[in-house]
Parts: sequence; C-alpha cells; structure tokens
Amino acid sequence: MSDKTEWSTVPRRLGRRAFATLAAASLAAPAVHAAPAAEIRIGFASIGIDNRQFAGGSAAAIAHAEGYVERELKEVPATKVSWFFFKGAGPAVNEAFATEQLDIAIQGDLPEVVGRANGLKTRQLMANGAHAPTYLAVPPDSTIAGVDDLRGKKVALFRGTNNHLAVVKLLAAHHLTERDLQVFNMDEATSSAALVANDIDAAFGNYGTLDLAARKLCKIVYSTKGDNRAFERQATVIAREAFVAANPEITQRVITAFVRAADFASQEKNREALFQIWARSGRTADTYRADFADQTLAYRNSPLIDDFFVEQYRVQAAQAKDYGLIRHPATVDGWFDTSFLHAAVKQLGLAQAWTRYDKDGNKLPAI
Amino acid sequence: MGTTVLTAPAGWMLSSALGRVLAGLLLPVALVVLWQVAAQHAWLPPQILPAPVDVWNSGADLFRTGDLQGHVAISLLRVVEGFAVGAALGLALGVAMGLSPLVEDYVRPLFTAVAQIPSLGWIPFLMMIFGIGETLKIIVIAKAAFVPMTLNTFSGLRDVPADFVEVARALRFTRWQMLTRLMLPGAVAPIFTGIRYGLTHAWLALVAVELLASSEGLGYLLVYGRQMFWLDTVIMAMVLIGVIGFMLDKGLELVERRLQRWQVTQSESVAA
Amino acid sequence: MTERLRRAARGLVLPVLCLAAWEAASRSHLVDPRILPPLESVGATAATSLLHGTLAFDLLVSLARDMAGFVGGTIVGAALGILLGVSGIAERLVLPTFNGLRQIAILAWIPLISLWFGFGDTAKVMFILLSAFVPVTLNTYQGIRSTPADLREVATALRFTWLQRVTRLFVPAALPSMVTGMHLALIYSWVAAIGSEYFMTVGPGIGGLIISGRERFDMDLVLLGMLLLGIVGFAINRTASVLETRLLRWRP
Repeated sequence: MSDKTEWSTVPRRLGRRAFATLAAASLAAPAVHAAPAAEIRIGFASIGIDNRQFAGGSAAAIAHAEGYVERELKEVPATKVSWFFFKGAGPAVNEAFATEQLDIAIQGDLPEVVGRANGLKTRQLMANGAHAPTYLAVPPDSTIAGVDDLRGKKVALFRGTNNHLAVVKLLAAHHLTERDLQVFNMDEATSSAALVANDIDAAFGNYGTLDLAARKLCKIVYSTKGDNRAFERQATVIAREAFVAANPEITQRVITAFVRAADFASQEKNREALFQIWARSGRTADTYRADFADQTLAYRNSPLIDDFFVEQYRVQAAQAKDYGLIRHPATVDGWFDTSFLHAAVKQLGLAQAWTRYDKDGNKLPAI
Repeated sequence: MGTTVLTAPAGWMLSSALGRVLAGLLLPVALVVLWQVAAQHAWLPPQILPAPVDVWNSGADLFRTGDLQGHVAISLLRVVEGFAVGAALGLALGVAMGLSPLVEDYVRPLFTAVAQIPSLGWIPFLMMIFGIGETLKIIVIAKAAFVPMTLNTFSGLRDVPADFVEVARALRFTRWQMLTRLMLPGAVAPIFTGIRYGLTHAWLALVAVELLASSEGLGYLLVYGRQMFWLDTVIMAMVLIGVIGFMLDKGLELVERRLQRWQVTQSESVAA
Repeated sequence: MTERLRRAARGLVLPVLCLAAWEAASRSHLVDPRILPPLESVGATAATSLLHGTLAFDLLVSLARDMAGFVGGTIVGAALGILLGVSGIAERLVLPTFNGLRQIAILAWIPLISLWFGFGDTAKVMFILLSAFVPVTLNTYQGIRSTPADLREVATALRFTWLQRVTRLFVPAALPSMVTGMHLALIYSWVAAIGSEYFMTVGPGIGGLIISGRERFDMDLVLLGMLLLGIVGFAINRTASVLETRLLRWRP
C-alpha cells in the first residue's frame, strides 16, 4: 500500500488497459477472465485535502488507511491492490467503471443509480458510509440563515453526487428547485475555496464544509441531521459485475476486510481512534467528530444491507427519476448481492454486531 | 490523381456541384444512421454513445422549457460583450503601436509577455482576483480577443507594401495623407482578419471560462451533462457550440467579402 | 548608446514599472498580499518547488504528455491529410465532416473524451492528440492540393505508381505546408496539455499546479504556473520557428 499513488506506473498500465478494454467493449462482449485478477483497483468517490490519497468518514476508509485489504489478501500473493481517489467523486467513478478502469468503488447513491440507469453493470456488495448528513455552509459574515434564504443566490453544489439528490429533496421541501438558485457545479476543494473567497453565497457539502467550519472559515447554517430521515445520503461498496463474476474469492476477501473494518468502526470505544485515522485525509479530527456527533457509530458504519436499506435505494432511484436526475428508470431488483456480506459476517461472528431493520424501518430482533 | 478506377458514381461525385454536396453529406448521414442503429441494438453500451434520437430530444426538451435559449443567449451575450471590449482595446493599441514606433518600443515586450500566456493560464489567476461572476468572463473573453486584434491591426498598419510607400513619397503625401490614403485603407483587411481571429478566440475562451466557473451557458451545460452522465446533453451542447462558432465566423466572412468588394470599388474610385 | 540598445531599453521600462508597482503595492499592503504576493515570495516558492518539490517532475510530465499527443496527432494528421489530398473521393466524402467537427471548440470535447477514455493519462493524451491533428491534417491536405501542375505532369510522364506519387511527389511538395501545420500543432498541443490537466483527473503537471494553487489560495503557485506556461510556450514557439526555417531552408 502506498501513501502516494505511484503516478509514474499508474498511467501506463491504465493506458494499455483502457485501449484494450475499449476495443473489447466495442465487441459488445463482456471480458471473461480465465485466471484471478492480478490487480484489484479500488476507488473512492472522494479525495483528501490537497489531493491527499486518503478518504475519511467510512469503514472502507479505515480499511484502506490501516491495510485491512492487503492483510486479507496476503494469502493470494499474486494479487495486489491499487487504490484510487477521485476528485470528481461519484461521476468520475462512473466514468472509470464505464471504461472498465476500476473494479470496486466506494460510491454514493445518486451516482450509483445514475450508472445503473445508464446501463453500467454493477453489483452492490455492502453498505459503507450510509445514513450520512449534508450541510449548508455560508461565509462567516453571511446573512443567510437557512435554506429559505437561498432563492436567487449563488450556491455551490457538486452535481451527480449523493449530495445532489439530498439537496434536491431538501430544496423541494422548502418549495424551491435548483433553478431558483444560481447553481455552480463545484467539487469539494473548489467550493471551499469559493466560500472562503466569498465568490459564492453558500455551499452544500459534507466534510469539506465541516472542515472549513472547524477552521472558522465558514459557518454551517443547516444540517440534515435531525431533519427528515429521507434526506440521508446513502453509500455502498459497489463493484463491476464482470469483476465479481470472475473473481468471487478475491471479492469475498475484500468484503471480509471491509466488514472487519466496519466492526472496528462501529465500536464506541474506538471513536477517538477512528477520527484520528480519518484525519489522515487532511481534514481535522474535529470535522469527523462533528459529523458523527449525536449518532452511534454502529448506525453510521453498519455494513448491513437489510430490507430497509434496499428500500432506501428503491426510493432514491424513484426520486432521482421524479426529479429528472435520471432519464431512464433504474430498478434495484437484482442489484444487491449480499452473499459476500453474509459470508463475511458469519466468518467473523458478527451476527449480533449491527441492528437490522425491516422494510418500514422497524428494528428487527437480533438473529 | 487519386483513384485509378473511376466508377460512374465516383466520377459524378467529383464533377458535378450537386454531386459534391451529396458526397459531403454521405458520410455524416451514414454515420448518424449507423449510430442510431448501433444505439438501438446496444452494440455499444449507452454510456459510450447515446442514440442520436436522444441527443435531439434532450435539445428539444431544453428548448421547450426555454432553458436552451437562455443558455445560448447568455453565452452569446458574454462573447459579444467581451469581444467588443477586447477588440476595441486591441484596435486602439494596434493603431498606437502601428503608427508610433516609440509606442511600439515601449509596449511590445510587455504585450508579447502577456500574449504568450494562453487564456487558460489566465483564468485561475483572474478568478482569484475577480471571483466567478460575469466580470471574470468578460475580462477573460476580452483578453482572448484583444491579442489577435492588436497583432493584426499593428501588422496591418506596418505592412504597407514598399512600392506603395514609394509612390506615396513620390507624390509627396503629407503625413495625414499617408495615414488616411495609404495606411488606414491598407490596414482594413488585416484588421478584419484580426476581428475574425479575435471572435474565434473569444468563443474558445468563452467555452473555457464557462467550463470552469459558470452557472449558465453552453459550457455550463457541458459540465452539467458530464456530471449527470447525460451523454446526450453533452453531445447536444457540443453540436451547438460548433454550430454557433461556425455561424459567428461565417457571418464575419460574409461581411469580409462585402468589405473587400467595397474596398475594390473604393480604390477604383480613388484611382479614377 | 546605439539605436538598438535604446529601443531595447524602452521595451524594458513598462515591465520594470509594472513589477515595481506590484512589489510596492504588495509590500505596502495596498493590495492584499494574498492576491499579489511580493516578488521574492514567488521566487522563493519557485526555488523550493524546484529543489525540494515536484516542479521539475510536473514540468516533465506536462511536456511528456504534450509530446505524446503531438507526435500521435502529427502521425494521424499527416495520414488523414495525405488521404484527403491525394484522393478526390476521400476529400469529397470526408472533408465536409472533418470541417464540421473541427468547428466544435476543442475544450468542448473534454467531457466526451473523459467518458470514453476514463481517467489517467490516456484520456489526456487523446485530447492533446485531437487538438494537434487538426492543423496537421489541414495543412497537409492544402499542401498536397497546391502541388504545382508541372510537377504532377512530370510524375505522370515518369509513370509513377500510386505509392511513388505519394512519397516522391505529394509529400515533398506538401512539406513546407506540413511543417507549418506541425508548428501550429505544437502550439495547440501545449495549450491542450494544460487544458487536459485542468478538466480531467488530477495528476502531476503544470496545469495541476495552477489548479492546486487556486484551491489553496497560493497565488505564488498560480503565478509560478503562469510564468512557466508562458516560458515553455515561448520556448516551444521559438524552437518550432527555428526548426521550420532550418527544415525549409534547403527548399528552393
């Protein structure tokens, strides 16, 4: 595992691979691999401050930072893991999936739905970084006090990310649409810079805005935490269907590693350690502390895909279509493959570690 | 030349005017048809190539809501405003440099340094100073138009053919006469070339700045489409950018031809 | 002082005045030093980046991509240009489409190229290739088209085969035009190289340096990047001009 992505090696490998897979894709036949993949490419739909090659805020981020996956793969020495961090977030991950340059990703609900609606063949493997909040940040001396004050204002929003869907729903609840605002599409780093420079009036975001607030460079005037649960952003570990089909063993190992990390990340005694590890992304530990305040770790970091979770995704897909964010509908049937998750939970004896919910959100008795 | 076996249709294509037009359309039409068929049969995944019908529909939908017109209008407005400012400044500086070697001596190095940095290089710097509002866009577009305008105006005034200058000297033209009868008329054509290049560069700069920092416009549509994986929107925006860019240049080309005809008649009347 | 020196000195007045004004405004805090950092600050950043940072690497990577795209674009452009110039059928069929497609501002191709080639250097090089191949194609085509009639007659008289026509007649005749096209391609590909770094995935490079600078409010980096852009662009342009003159000098 490397702290800095080996730029000198990544481009050349990807170049040949991209050409080869593009040619293969044009034959409309999914590539069927005979032997297990020599390299697994795992990507995060986020990147650290100053392009640090670290993510934060989820179990998978722990798994990367602490080498869980590499340890799990020790018994398969022929396989190595390459980690990627996409500044372009979910949409950039979709581009990577479309060109088969990525095998597994940590991605949010809207881009996953967008990918599926556009014919990307993926499989949902486990929850990761789900139930996440969104924040509205403004410059420190701004007069904007809440979502209602946003009409006609310059607002930064990262389109195509799960923030986007949450914001669209939020605006609708306040009888606003994106067109009532002047929306600038900005990634986290750009919107942070724009907020500080007062180039924009407000920004929707998550860790970037919290980090700025922790540094007293902006103020958070609204958070979806405590508001309607429907505004929660979901996210998962998602993989290319072809990769999973060709590499079930490796996929299992990766998921097991992630579930191990999820276990670590769900125990309250690890709370501080968790924030410190996530701080390797360059954001302060305070950022994560604030984000996870008043919530149990087990709620946020649960890897379980239960009926409630699937139902959340069904709702997200339907609403994405309703709000015009996807052109063609996306179904969730057949998308979730929980076999790897169940096997991992069983293997690690974590059946009691997390709460399951039924379709309507009611707690199910422990198995 | 070229093919050794000229089949009948090929021969016709090469010779007749109608044949030429049809031949030119053959490839694009065939490509679009192939594209539509490929999309319908999903020969390529839809993220790689959406159906042409979808591209058309996405444009039609935006048109119906009035959004498309809005985006096109704002892009055009920015180009026109920025170009007006940049071209005017470029003309002024070009004339000053062209007429006065002293001004040229003072200004040329700084101008060259500024011109050497492409518009793309200026945008982040200007963003930090001017923010991301309309001012930024006008300034970036103005700079893009200003450089070719200055260069062409300057060289147009300087590059008066030597024999013309000799004739003017022989006729003992005053400085004023040199200017109005010789240099300025001679510079009209190059200045117009500067206008054409300036507008082209202005349009390119518009796309660049709208891709980086905008909440509306054709470049903004490109970004929006890319983020949402709406490849049809992306292609539609690309087509519009191409069409409008082409029409802007073609429009100027027509004006240029008119101007040239006018110039010829002018010089004929002067000679008479 | 000779006239030349006097003229050169005049040329330095404005730049020196500007730099002095900048330094003064920055030092006296007339302008926020974050927007206009003092010149020594920029110099210091340049030195640190060069000696302890990745500046040399960034420059090399940008240039490497630039060259890769340029060479690829030249090859494709020359091939297409020759085809269009030599074959009337190809010209009638392909040229209108080519002319239509090249109306689309080059930066507008970025989303499509990103979606087709994903992330990594391939996508960037493809974009640079695209911007380089257009002027080479056009100039090669025009060069071949304007092959003097008497030369063509000689080729016919000597009963050149198709291949001989291309290699002995058309390409040499089009060479001056091709070289001009390549000169343009060099300029366009440098700008495209920077554009690719702005709009495609983050990676090493001068464009990336500028974007990072903007995000961090590090005006030093932005100015440094701009300076390098201009210097390298100038150097490429100069080199291209010199090569062009050299290469075409032997032509009658």
